[in-house]
Amino acid sequence: MDFHAALGWGLPVGIGLAAIGSGIGLGGIGNGAMQAIGRQPEATGKIQLAMIIIAALAEALTIYAFVTMFILSPRI
Amino acid sequence: MGLEFLQRVRKSSVWAGAVVALLIARYVTPIDGLAVALGVAWSLVNLSLIQLMVVALTGPDRREVPGLRRALLASAGMAGLFAVGAVLLVKLPPQSLLWGFMVPLAVIVLKAGSLLLLGTRGWKRFIGDPRRAAGILVAVGLAVWAASPLWVGAQEHGAPAASTAPESPAGEHGAATREHGTPSEHGEATSAHGEESGPQKFPNVITVVSRAFPNAEWAHFLHQFEAVIFSALVALLVILVCWLATRNAALIPRPLQNAVEYLVETLNDFILGILGPKHGPRYVPFLGTLFIYILAMNLFGLIPFMDSPTSSLNVTVALALVVFAYSQFIGIKELGIVGYLDHLAGSPRTPISWMLVPLMLPIHIMGELAKPISLSCRLFGNVFGEDMLLVAFVTLGITTLSFMHSPIGLPLQLPFLFLALLTGTLQALVFTVLSTIYFLLMLPHDDHGHEGDAQHAH
Repeated sequence: MDFHAALGWGLPVGIGLAAIGSGIGLGGIGNGAMQAIGRQPEATGKIQLAMIIIAALAEALTIYAFVTMFILSPRI
Repeated sequence: MGLEFLQRVRKSSVWAGAVVALLIARYVTPIDGLAVALGVAWSLVNLSLIQLMVVALTGPDRREVPGLRRALLASAGMAGLFAVGAVLLVKLPPQSLLWGFMVPLAVIVLKAGSLLLLGTRGWKRFIGDPRRAAGILVAVGLAVWAASPLWVGAQEHGAPAASTAPESPAGEHGAATREHGTPSEHGEATSAHGEESGPQKFPNVITVVSRAFPNAEWAHFLHQFEAVIFSALVALLVILVCWLATRNAALIPRPLQNAVEYLVETLNDFILGILGPKHGPRYVPFLGTLFIYILAMNLFGLIPFMDSPTSSLNVTVALALVVFAYSQFIGIKELGIVGYLDHLAGSPRTPISWMLVPLMLPIHIMGELAKPISLSCRLFGNVFGEDMLLVAFVTLGITTLSFMHSPIGLPLQLPFLFLALLTGTLQALVFTVLSTIYFLLMLPHDDHGHEGDAQHAH
């Protein structure tokens, strides 16, 4: 397997793996936030704010993989 | 008829001219498209100046000073316009310029013709029965459909060179395949833009201009400083809106002032809610400006022929570096040098935590250095990814209709435009909130905690 073939396989698979990971993370975050809102509806604003921040942190990992893909994809 | 008719002509000409210029820039050459667009603009300005002059010369105040002044101004404008036209004729292909010039005139003729047609008996009979009208339309459509392959075939036979003539290296469509597929055909064109590697974005004003003048020094300069120019444009736009909103500030606000006040007040409450009322007010202007600026930059790319400056890594890295430097400055200023180092060492108070300092110090420093990287990459990745998504779906929409040689594609990207609105807003919010939290981490924690408790007690 030469360099190009390795990249051609690795980039999409890498994006997919990153997406799986941050999907699990986002699911957990959403689960926790929804439960918290269900318990304390009056704290919805604060919980949503924290949820959005943590969701952005979790989502960023996929974005890093995405940026890496765009940097490396011309070399395929 | 009259002025209102001219108003409608102007509006239709702008649309027709934009579409024609776009098609020509895509399918013939970019410089011809530019010439057509400038010709349309020239002709429109010319028409409105003529209208101004006629109104000034035949209006009720034609003997008064204001009327004469307006007529004089209009004629001076005409002189300037003709000078601009002469320059354009030298610089750009005159034929395309002439075609662009004809567009508003053609719109006038067509509109006047349709006004005449509306009164005739044939038209009344045509629209009298909806079923017959629909039947005729369907028949005409089918006839065009049946005839179009013949026409396209004849064109391809007649001018086989026409399909290879376009020298634009990449529109929004098929750029990658063309670069890989036929390097020899477009070797000349691609060598001019050889530095553009990687995926192609939507063409914007600057890329169109720089492709129209591939050898000019200034076009190259414009293309290199694209992101800077667009971000400066966005900044000017934001300044203009704020200036307009606060120019005549009134107790009972006008809509624009009201909207801006609402935005500022919401941001103020939001940031004070995180930073607390003691330290918050000092940092609200910076953080609020950051939000508004990034939001405007993210959404700027959704305007046709414009580009999001934040889809370039340079701009986001600059923003993140500003936040990084400012948060370190806040740390040193609020905590003092010793307090700042103490904060970086993890605030050691007990012997065990003193022993952990060699471990904590590198971790904290690396954490500080990771903040700007993650901030900039997140913003860049989201905005750039959204752009790429739109490009991919536009390409898909064009390729679905390519079998009938249609110049336009299916608007498959429409739902993703709304997604882009959402992502742009959310990422601006996330950038601001994370910057706020980095500031909060640098501020003295203790008295903030007490104030927070006091607030809760109230």
